Amino acid sequence: MAGIWLDVLDEIARTCRDHGRGDLLQAVRRKRAQLLDPTLRVLVVGEPNQGKSQLVNAIVNAPVCPVGDGRTTVLPTVVQHADVPSVAVVQAPPATPGRSAGAALPGAVERTPVPVDRIADGVAGTLGRRPGGGPAYVEIGLPRALLGAGLVLVDTPGSDEVGAPGAAASVAALARADAVLLVTDSTRELSVAELNVLLHVTRSHPNVAVVQTKIDLVSDWRAVAERNRRHLAEAGVPAALIPVSAALRLRAAATDDRTLNAESGFPALIARLQRDLAGKSDVLARAAVGLTARTVVEQLAAPLRAELESQRVEEQSGPMARLHAAQREVEELRRCSVRWQNTLNDEMADLLSDLEYDLRDRTRQILREVDEAFDSADPLVAWDAFQEWLARSLTEAAEANHEWLVQRCDFVARRVAANFARYGYDVLPPWSLTVPEDLADRLPEMERPTIDRFTASQKVITGMKGSYGGLLMFGLALTLAGMPMINPVSIGAGALFGGKSIRDESRQLLRRRQATVKTAVQRHVDDFFVRVVKDCRDAARQVQRMLRDHFAALTDELQEGIIQSLRTAKQAADSDAAARDQRQREIKLKMTRLAALYEQAQQLTAGRPAAVPLEPRA
Amino acid sequence: MTVGLRLDEAVWGLLHRALELYRDDPRATGHLRHQLARLEQPLRVAVAGPWRAGKSTLLNALLGEEVAPVAGADGSGVFTWYEDGPQPRATAYSAGHPPQELAMAKSATGLRVDLVGWRTGELRDIVVRWPTRALRQVTLVDTPAVAGPGEQGRSPVMERVFRDADAVLYLTRDGRGSDLRALESGRESLVGQAAPVNAIMVLSRTDETGGGKIDALLTARQLARRQSRDPRVTATCVTAVACSGLIGLAGRVLSEADHAALARLAAVPRPELEVHLLSADRFLRGELPVDTQVRAGLLDRLGLFGVRLATTLVRTGCDTRAALSAELIRRSGLTELRESVNRFFVDRRETLKSRSALAAVEALLRADPSPGAAELLGAVERILAGAHEFRELRLLAALRDTRLGFDADVAAEARRLVGGDGVGLAARLGVEHDASAQRLWEVAADAQWRWRDRAEDPLLRLAQRRGAQVVVRSCEGMLAELAEGGR
Repeated sequence: MAGIWLDVLDEIARTCRDHGRGDLLQAVRRKRAQLLDPTLRVLVVGEPNQGKSQLVNAIVNAPVCPVGDGRTTVLPTVVQHADVPSVAVVQAPPATPGRSAGAALPGAVERTPVPVDRIADGVAGTLGRRPGGGPAYVEIGLPRALLGAGLVLVDTPGSDEVGAPGAAASVAALARADAVLLVTDSTRELSVAELNVLLHVTRSHPNVAVVQTKIDLVSDWRAVAERNRRHLAEAGVPAALIPVSAALRLRAAATDDRTLNAESGFPALIARLQRDLAGKSDVLARAAVGLTARTVVEQLAAPLRAELESQRVEEQSGPMARLHAAQREVEELRRCSVRWQNTLNDEMADLLSDLEYDLRDRTRQILREVDEAFDSADPLVAWDAFQEWLARSLTEAAEANHEWLVQRCDFVARRVAANFARYGYDVLPPWSLTVPEDLADRLPEMERPTIDRFTASQKVITGMKGSYGGLLMFGLALTLAGMPMINPVSIGAGALFGGKSIRDESRQLLRRRQATVKTAVQRHVDDFFVRVVKDCRDAARQVQRMLRDHFAALTDELQEGIIQSLRTAKQAADSDAAARDQRQREIKLKMTRLAALYEQAQQLTAGRPAAVPLEPRA
Repeated sequence: MTVGLRLDEAVWGLLHRALELYRDDPRATGHLRHQLARLEQPLRVAVAGPWRAGKSTLLNALLGEEVAPVAGADGSGVFTWYEDGPQPRATAYSAGHPPQELAMAKSATGLRVDLVGWRTGELRDIVVRWPTRALRQVTLVDTPAVAGPGEQGRSPVMERVFRDADAVLYLTRDGRGSDLRALESGRESLVGQAAPVNAIMVLSRTDETGGGKIDALLTARQLARRQSRDPRVTATCVTAVACSGLIGLAGRVLSEADHAALARLAAVPRPELEVHLLSADRFLRGELPVDTQVRAGLLDRLGLFGVRLATTLVRTGCDTRAALSAELIRRSGLTELRESVNRFFVDRRETLKSRSALAAVEALLRADPSPGAAELLGAVERILAGAHEFRELRLLAALRDTRLGFDADVAAEARRLVGGDGVGLAARLGVEHDASAQRLWEVAADAQWRWRDRAEDPLLRLAQRRGAQVVVRSCEGMLAELAEGGR
């Protein structure tokens, strides 16, 4: 009969070993040994003063565990079968570091027999226990048929700490119990702490029952029981609730009163215990194996599931994501290179037209000043000073223009470089364009234009020419008056006329000279303009070429790097996908195996739905 | 500077200084005015304890009427205040609504307050005014169940109890560790350390001890005595008392009809009755000369143990209602509890109220530090260190957990002299309560001389000599009082 569940348990153990979980393996092995042991170990837990010891007493119908008067169970008490009543305090040696108390060798425990009439002192921990020793417990043997059938009751010290009933002693450890009875009294409903304990216990134990004691004491115990059942259902605790009265049971035993015994509710409890005992090797074991399978499968599946989950997360951040990022990067670089070329061309065209306009503006200004100056000044007098000024002005204009060119080029370079901002590092070309030192020397030298001078002989001839008319005019007129042709008046008039014509002539000459100079200056400035513009254009083109070369090189470099990373990302993604697929297949396989194992274990209990102790009986 | 003043005067002055400091803060001044008003009001005693510890039952037993709990308010975080008042009235205070009168219905043994139309968690306080002598000197506070310590290791209910109450009756069924931890959380502030809140541990529901055997109450009393010697308990509680609220209340509201029914039950031959009293079910079901309805009523009021006890008492001689009632009250431990409340709480009410006011000022100063707060904190500390009443309390605490190392009888005398057994002159001096002034003077003078010797004994430890000095100061106080009375 035991064969099926034992096979499943062995299968579970093998799976644990396959997964390299030594801790689980040990737990399973312990479980196996425990299930093969024919005795039914019933752990009685609960908060203090709920009547745990009294419950044990009532089950065995003997005052073995001291009760009442504020006595508290200090040591766990194990009640089992013996042919003659016997009591002993069993103490393990002190737990040495590195070896837990539970792992102590069985031969090393120390047994101190206690007189039967001093059980109370033994249980209170004041007799037979060596101070400073390891965890101890009291072992009580009783000649009872129920115990003889293999029932072992473990009374634990009361504890209101969640999940730590009798944590001090391995004898009371939950792991070794086949059934757990949580004791709560009828004067109040189950507390939150008790429900927490139940939730904790039912996770690892298939066979948990809540015993509601002291139903003799209050009249509304049925209502309390009803509410407790509801609490259990709400909390999802699959535990049956059995209301009992230890006082009635003991009284019934003393007076041999069957109805009273039935009233005490104990027959139901004992029937349940007997059924568990009888079914230990079958029903209970199946359930235990089912639960063990669940625990083990959960524990084994959790890391696998976590790994799957983390892989899914990694898919988004892993090599595939890097590949996508690299592809996006290539796209971006392509867009960037178009962008920077456009920027460079536009900026350079703007720059040239701006520069030309600037220079034109400056030369116009100079010309305007020249015009103004030579409207009044005589080039004969002022030429030297003027020439110096002109040369200086033009040099200044050329320099200012060049300066601006340099600045604008710098600006353009930065504008273009801004397109590369996302690549992070400094992409400005090693800049070298400056205003040439010898700019002034490279400008065309202006030659002095040929200017007509008003020489003395010309002046005499002009004066003579002018005076002749006057002299003749006045001389003829005065002859009529009987005066000689040459007289003082006519000579005076001649001199006057001569002087005027000299003045007129010299002014005309001045105009002509000024016009000549202006024309000459204009021509020179035109020459200058053409020359400087040519220089500027050359320089600008040179800069443009330099920038283009520089940024093209940079783009190539970047592209190469990105392509490289794209390639590696692709490789990595390919290989990673393969590895992950492999691992996922492995995990899935393992999960499937675990699921199968779980299924197999659950079928153990599902085969006999009537006897499933997992379901609440209520 | 405050040493010469009386404690309540010093506290009054401190509150006014704090009012001056926070005059621009309406919330703080409201709080401080409330504290000032509290100094004039009765002592506030909170009945606290874990879930189903019997808080409301004990409160009813103390009041002598069935007032608590307010229906529907149980377990929803509401503090219910029971105050003395000319007319029965109940007022509900909530966070979002103005105070509102609650409907109440009088029943045969008390009243019922109906909480219709209130949602759970909405209400903060319910104040019940109830004309009774028991509330003349103390205001009783019914508190929600103290849950286990939360994530921060503190229970919000206990925090509010320590803030709002001057003294605490802490109910517990068995005095386990979690109960002691709940009480320990009250000693964190400056005031809490210098003068811990006064708490009495009440072992409640003692009628259920040991499964309701007939000697349950006696056993419980022994347990309480053991608890009050346990250093873990005395570190936080002034004493431990066993009290069955159910039996006490039943004794106080016992009617002639009840007594008659119990007498008829007691007339049934004992072995026959015992069979019926085995369980509550049997008692209701069995063939007895009392109507089932009446039996259900008795069971409800007295509990199975109460019925057992009452029938036994009737059989052994309590043949009138008054006698049975008195015996039930006596056995329930209610008398002892009231004595303890009187001795430890009511007699020291000025000190306890001052302590609460100091704690409130300290909390305010710490929560809302403004310039000048540090100075006031210093004043709080000076009052705490200087006031003789607090020194007495500290000495009592030290004597309780035997850390001073006095011999048992010397420690007992010291405790008596500093008011550990009651603050009346006779109680302190340990003489009969009707002793003449002459005799009181003699005993007090004698004690003063003996303790002065001890205070100056170089063989004693410093802490012991300091303790002896406090005792001497108490003796001098008594002599001064006697001298004043003599004039």
